[in-house]
Amino acid sequence: MDELPSLKQQFLEETDRISDLAGLQLVRAKYLGKKGIVTSQLKALSSVPADKRREYGKALNEMKGFAEETLKGLELSLKETEKAKRLLAEKTDITLPGRFTPFGRRHPISQVLSEIEDIFVSMGFRVEDGPEIELDYYNFEALNIPKDHPARDMQDTFYVSDDVVLRTHTSPVQVRVMEKHKPPLKIIAPGKVYRCDADVSHTAMFHQVEGLMVDTDISFSDLKGVLELFIHTFFGRDIPVRFRPSYFPFTEPSAEVDMGCIFCSGGGCRMCKGTGWIEILGSGLVNPRVFEMAGYNSEDYTGFAFGMGVERITLLKYSIDDIRLFFENDIRFLRQF
Amino acid sequence: MKVSFDWLKDFVDVQAAPPEVADRLTMAGLEVEGVEDVGDDVLFEVNVTPNRPDCLSILGIARETAAAFGLPLKTPAAEIGGELLPAGVTVEIIAPELCHRYAGRLITGIKVADSPAWIKDRLEKCGIRSLNSNIVDVTNYVLLELGHPLHAFDADKLAESMIRIATAGDKASIATLDGVERKLPAEARRIWDSRRPVAVAGIMGGEESSVKSDTVNIFLESAYFLPSSIRRTSKKLGLRTESSYRFERGTDIEFLEKALDRAALLIRETGGGEVHAIVDVYPRKYVPLRVEADHRRINSLLGTDISKDEMRNMLSGAGIRTEDHGEAFAAFPPAYRRDVTRYVDLAEEVARIYNYDNIPVTLPKTPLSGGGVTRKEKDREQLHESMRKSGFTEVINYSFMNPADLDLLALPDDDIRRRHVSVLNPLRQEDSLMRTTLLPSLLNNFVYNISRGAGDLRLYELSKVFIDRGERLPDEESRLGGIFYREGLPSIWKEEAPAFFTLKGALGSLFGELKVGDVEFVQSEEVFLHSGKSADMVREGRKLGFIGELAPGVVESLRLKVRKPEVLVFEMDVEVLLSFVPETLRYSPVPKYPPIERDVALILDEHITAAAVRKVINEFGSPYMEDVELFDAYRGKNIPEKKKSLSFRIIYRSPDRTLTDDEVETVHQELVEFILRETGGEIRG
Repeated sequence: MDELPSLKQQFLEETDRISDLAGLQLVRAKYLGKKGIVTSQLKALSSVPADKRREYGKALNEMKGFAEETLKGLELSLKETEKAKRLLAEKTDITLPGRFTPFGRRHPISQVLSEIEDIFVSMGFRVEDGPEIELDYYNFEALNIPKDHPARDMQDTFYVSDDVVLRTHTSPVQVRVMEKHKPPLKIIAPGKVYRCDADVSHTAMFHQVEGLMVDTDISFSDLKGVLELFIHTFFGRDIPVRFRPSYFPFTEPSAEVDMGCIFCSGGGCRMCKGTGWIEILGSGLVNPRVFEMAGYNSEDYTGFAFGMGVERITLLKYSIDDIRLFFENDIRFLRQF
Repeated sequence: MKVSFDWLKDFVDVQAAPPEVADRLTMAGLEVEGVEDVGDDVLFEVNVTPNRPDCLSILGIARETAAAFGLPLKTPAAEIGGELLPAGVTVEIIAPELCHRYAGRLITGIKVADSPAWIKDRLEKCGIRSLNSNIVDVTNYVLLELGHPLHAFDADKLAESMIRIATAGDKASIATLDGVERKLPAEARRIWDSRRPVAVAGIMGGEESSVKSDTVNIFLESAYFLPSSIRRTSKKLGLRTESSYRFERGTDIEFLEKALDRAALLIRETGGGEVHAIVDVYPRKYVPLRVEADHRRINSLLGTDISKDEMRNMLSGAGIRTEDHGEAFAAFPPAYRRDVTRYVDLAEEVARIYNYDNIPVTLPKTPLSGGGVTRKEKDREQLHESMRKSGFTEVINYSFMNPADLDLLALPDDDIRRRHVSVLNPLRQEDSLMRTTLLPSLLNNFVYNISRGAGDLRLYELSKVFIDRGERLPDEESRLGGIFYREGLPSIWKEEAPAFFTLKGALGSLFGELKVGDVEFVQSEEVFLHSGKSADMVREGRKLGFIGELAPGVVESLRLKVRKPEVLVFEMDVEVLLSFVPETLRYSPVPKYPPIERDVALILDEHITAAAVRKVINEFGSPYMEDVELFDAYRGKNIPEKKKSLSFRIIYRSPDRTLTDDEVETVHQELVEFILRETGGEIRG
């Protein structure tokens, strides 16, 4: 019993010298193993005189508990240290690049088309499609542009034959849809159109979105409402919008729609040619002649139609100054969107 | 059209500054596209729409300005007073359906000289060159001022002092003022004297009868020709003049006498001479159109609330006379407003005068809901997104192709892609065909980008192609095409699959995304592809498209320095592809019991494809076989010549219990024996 304090002292000294888990196991075996010092003494307790046995037993058990606690604590901290060492050895250069295939990009025109479509679809419009190589009849005649009409000069036409053209606008879809469906109608028709014209601001092919709404009681003020809503959704709430008289053979009255210049906020700049306004779309109430040619009774229905150039809107949206960039398909251009 | 502000003020006493006038005109429908200071004058560039020929003159713009500012219009002096000499020229209209009115005046004893500076100055400001001849300059001056084209003949060159208006007939040739001998279409109108043609009516005078420096007597013409006929002839001749431009849009038949007199006065003023009495043949008198109007209907069309009287006042301000009929009214547009024929045209006039900006902004009573996109549109959107996620960037190309492209691809004569549509008037020969395949455009994109230093390229396009199947209109079919090139520069992370399989994998994800299963890759016959590294994609016997490496010859002909010869392309018929997208999906239960996996490594003849082995495995058809996965394909060391090794992992599982190793082992051994028997292969040791 007298040797217990020195045993504890010896245990503490040995514990201090432990540097790794293996050393710890040795110390643990020496004191607490089956044949360890503390274990052996506990087993030998019966040989201690009865009057001292109780006290000695208690002291031994305390010593055992103390040794277990100490070693357990030490083991935990040694494990932590070893883990930290291992992780340190596995340290990697986190600044190396990740491995991935970058996602591709949608063409800017495609992105803007989707955006326009989404706005009109949310207003209840359906999306319609029509042929790009079109009969003269649908491209012109049914839209109140007879042969020998000066309005044909407004559009330089590619011809495939005398009565077949590359459509010069998406408006023929209006007539094709009206021939098939009765009002009420709310459609948009996005797509490619062609004009025999090429310079900084014109390409032989470009995209338009046509819109048509027909019912028994559609007015010019409704046209203003829907198009303002569109422009405000696309370009922002605070953009001023103005409607001014224009001429399209297939609408009457016709209106050109301008929005306040987004570059100079109306002060006048190069983009708006100093006017503070930017032309954004053409529109009007459907000309009764177009209804008649599509087989509607023009006494029963009114409606509005509009058309916008997608390239133009995209140029404005991203401040691009040359429309031809859209069709050069330079990957360094396309990846910016 | 160029409009001099100074000239404009001859007709309307507008006090507002030019920018404000420009703004008012724009808001009235005459878009002023430019305002330019020139000396002490200001020039407007006005965009006059084809429906408003009445505005192709200073007077017309002045009329609109007066209406916009509520000012009176001052018309120019055009009274020829006093006793006049007899007409002296006879006029006969042989084709009255094409020429509704023909008037003219003989002016004798004139002196051809330079015009005074004020005429020259105004002409030149408005874009017409002065021609050192007061006679021609005056006709041009009046054309700009009043919008009415005039023509001056040398009266002494008119045989028997006679003018006849007739079709060209078969005597179809005339030397025009510009010195060109022109062949006329038979239906074109010409002005004849008693023997020969002297002018192409409404378009250009003849050289022979033109006014020259020694001309003494002139005959001044002012006529009305049928617009569509002028346009046809002008288009056929490819000859457009300031005159034809106005005639084909429609001139003022009532006013032409005023224009004639104004010109005669100006000629007398600048060149002297004696003005003769008018000769005026007017077989088709203008009858004003009566347009029935109802202010309530116009209001409901515009969404406005304008009273009938107010509306009638507005129209009268626009020169349109009205008659009150109690409930409704009738309108009588003047001869210079032939574009106004129906109540909607009156509605536009009302809206213009009321100002579009004052019309309320409302939303339609038709509910703004119920829209949506169709399945097909959603599927197309999936195609875009799948390509994008596989790293492909979208391109949009012109729909044209070069005739040489078809030969570059060496397409056989009976190939469907040779049934193209041609454009009659292309901008360049290289753009004269409509695309029948996206491939040529994609190759252009490839060349363009590689020659600008791109090393890796993944591009795709989803567009229409046009196949002529002999109908009136060609078939328009959607194609999804792409090009894939990888220079294979050293990269920090290795382990890339060969290009063919990377592209095949991208299409595999696309099929997976659309839930189109069972697409077979079979040997392709496309001549522009590498015969050993290309495939047709087929499902249920229908060809979806092709995928493969470009044939070496095609790559060479691109004349491009590429580090690697492997350029991969694909193209698919979108309609066929989307027809395999299942309409509905059914859930299958998630497995409850664990799988057991077994591998089999085979040594096979090199010509046996992975797909063939897979087919054999599927034929074996154990109900416990859940999945088959090819995890190794190898050729080389330890494998005999002309042999290859394929290793498959088979997943066994039962939907309703846990399988034992023993029962799986039995099935698997049977499967292995079946494979060996069917393929003639052996187990790789």
